[in-house]
Amino acid sequence: MSLMDNLLAGLSLVASFEVFFALFVGICIGVVGGAIPGLSATMAVALTLPFTFSLQPITGILLLLGVYKGGIFGGCIPAILIKTPGTPASSATILDGHPMAEKGESGRALGMALWASCTADIVSNLALILFAGWLASFALKFGPPEFFALILFSLTIIAGVSGESLLRGALAAILGLLLATVGLDLVYGTNRFTFGDPNMMGGLNFIAVLIGLFAIPEIIAMAWNPVAHLGKPRALGQSKVTFADYKRCFKSIIRGSVIGVFLGSIPGIGAAPSAFLSYSEARRKSPNKENFGKGEIEGVAASEAGNNGVAGATLIPLLALGVPGDVITAIIIGAFMVHGLQPGPMMFILNVDIIYGLFIGLIVSSVFLFIVGSVAIKGFRFVADVPKRILMPAVLVLCIYGVFAVNNNIFDVGVMFAMGWVGYLMMRYRIPAAPFLIAFILGPLLEDNFRQAMLMSGSDPMILIRGPITWFFWVVTIITVVAITRSVVSKDKLGV
Amino acid sequence: MNFRQIATALSVSAALTIVPALAEYPERAINMVIPFGAGGATDISARAIAEPLGNAVGKPLIMVNLTGAGGATGSVNVKNAKGDGQTMLFARVGSHSVSPAMKETLPYTLDDFRFVTVYEINPVACAVTPASGINSMEDLVAKVAEGGVSYSSSGVGSLLHIAGAMVLKEFGVENPLEAATHIPQKGGGAAATAVLNGTATFLCTNSSALASFVANGQLKPLMVTTEQPITGFDAPTANELGKPALNQLVGWTGIAGPDDLPDDVATKWEAWMATATQDEKFIKTMTSAGSIITLMSEEEANTFIRGQFEVFRALVDDLGMRIEG
Repeated sequence: MSLMDNLLAGLSLVASFEVFFALFVGICIGVVGGAIPGLSATMAVALTLPFTFSLQPITGILLLLGVYKGGIFGGCIPAILIKTPGTPASSATILDGHPMAEKGESGRALGMALWASCTADIVSNLALILFAGWLASFALKFGPPEFFALILFSLTIIAGVSGESLLRGALAAILGLLLATVGLDLVYGTNRFTFGDPNMMGGLNFIAVLIGLFAIPEIIAMAWNPVAHLGKPRALGQSKVTFADYKRCFKSIIRGSVIGVFLGSIPGIGAAPSAFLSYSEARRKSPNKENFGKGEIEGVAASEAGNNGVAGATLIPLLALGVPGDVITAIIIGAFMVHGLQPGPMMFILNVDIIYGLFIGLIVSSVFLFIVGSVAIKGFRFVADVPKRILMPAVLVLCIYGVFAVNNNIFDVGVMFAMGWVGYLMMRYRIPAAPFLIAFILGPLLEDNFRQAMLMSGSDPMILIRGPITWFFWVVTIITVVAITRSVVSKDKLGV
Repeated sequence: MNFRQIATALSVSAALTIVPALAEYPERAINMVIPFGAGGATDISARAIAEPLGNAVGKPLIMVNLTGAGGATGSVNVKNAKGDGQTMLFARVGSHSVSPAMKETLPYTLDDFRFVTVYEINPVACAVTPASGINSMEDLVAKVAEGGVSYSSSGVGSLLHIAGAMVLKEFGVENPLEAATHIPQKGGGAAATAVLNGTATFLCTNSSALASFVANGQLKPLMVTTEQPITGFDAPTANELGKPALNQLVGWTGIAGPDDLPDDVATKWEAWMATATQDEKFIKTMTSAGSIITLMSEEEANTFIRGQFEVFRALVDDLGMRIEG
């Protein structure tokens, strides 16, 4: 069959009101789910999954994909407005998005987030459609040693998000690495720092740590000094993003999308590291370097492009190899299985109509995302105008509810509050939270892949430099570390 | 208000006045704990039975994913729940026969639960990549003797972990723990990926988890552990290879309550499950994913689970796989 035939077969499958309606509804559910702190895109997809069992395969899968894409975008709304990432992927958006909101530019920040998200979404979808096979075979070259080198490189992001003091950033990162060791040891299966509590055996819940670290300190600060914010020019998100803004950030958006596509196509990384990497790359290359972290619109664009760039690409390992790339695609693969579909190379032959149907649906989803996102921004923007004294208690209720709902476990709510106090102390001592979070995400990946590599080689460290991919990441890691050291040293000289 | 609504209203109010006297189970919606994440084998199985089961029960079932620590978090939650049948658990092979056999540190034992049924069996298959040049179990064992063979699993104490060791042991590898390296991964998807990208040589897992890779020609099955061949798996059965002991090596899903679950509740569950597993849609969903629907009575389920536990326990003791730290 020619491409045209395939396209037509796909079109005949998706060209019904029901399919597009499902996609649209999915995106709406996703945006709202992502915008509620603690609910997260993953939760929204998991909650939608059972509803797809009775639908046609293509309808059900597009519904889930809509929820996924909407959720990843929706997460930026609370990140910008109330400094609480709606979904882990949008944690990087806080760094510049929230300072923009504080300056009264929440409308501009949200607008840029939407434009960057949709652009990255299109790039990601095109990458899926055009390069799926090639990227999948590239992804299959990633064994534990390659992963280890990549994650090691990613840890250099910490320097990019540490703000004023690298030492403080490193301190936060070490704390994050430490807390990430709680739970069962991967290789031996023994308990680590669980203090005999079964609840700790699964490790600290990621969402609970995330919300605790970002949202709760704000609430505690508010309770401590309820009138501190009065008189600050927070009001009104009437400001809008302009085309000039978009043009200026375009390079960062494309760079972020490409980073997202690459990290998304490799199973096991996910959207949050991609957003942070895109952010730190944008900062490194930007002429306004100093302004990053203080409300630079390019920072918002880069991180949103980084996380939405993952959304389409994460389907590459799913469709081309049949392996889930992250937690969300692991849920979506369940929907394939229920309908007796077997994702993998053969699907491009056996169910080519479904594949092309999905492609068409994905392209349309970028447009839907733009429409739904615009409406959502118009509605949510006014959250910025709600007095903080009224907003914060509502946020607290949402956080508690959301964190409980992730795992239906009251222990997680306790973790959230404990982390909230840690976060508050960190805030008081001007220790940045972002490096903590990056270390908390990347630490276990680094450790697991290192140990798996050691198991593979019988503890021969030479395996860590076994091929061109590892060499590449070692070299860029060394270059980055040297560059960071030099900038710190020269800063010291200037300072003294 | 039509006649039917009036009748319903009357019967409901009648029921409400009678309930305190009889307190017939279930009084309200039942919490069903799924100790594994959404989209996994346990979750799909649980969600598939939820609808017919809910109809049989006549009260809503609240499906709750309580995940973490290889199913331990959710299992402990049900263990500590009141034994009134309002909180029940989807028990699974990994969390309720492999982990208890292996992990000294597990915060529960089999005695903490009352298993009311096992309703689904998942055959296990072992597979390698076609590129490995391994075409039969014989080849694999020969390769193990050469050294450098490894197998992936979804984590310590998972079915995949013990399956790799058990299969090699049955095929005459003296000390499988030293002859082959176990490379644990985080989850079943990652375990399959590890074999695909060459991190590990082989894996033994539920046929449903392998079906798509086998159909796509990405993985080559070497053996299935059931007596009967499995559709889509062009590989000999354990019996054909003269290893009927491997028949014990299967996955399963069942339903359990806390150990103080009263008899009348257990009896009710048996009846409900008998109705629910007749549902055509449920059977179709599960069998298309490679499962075998076999409804066991409480007694059969206990014999089955204990039997499997004893086999695994003996193997664990034999090989020194016990985790005590």
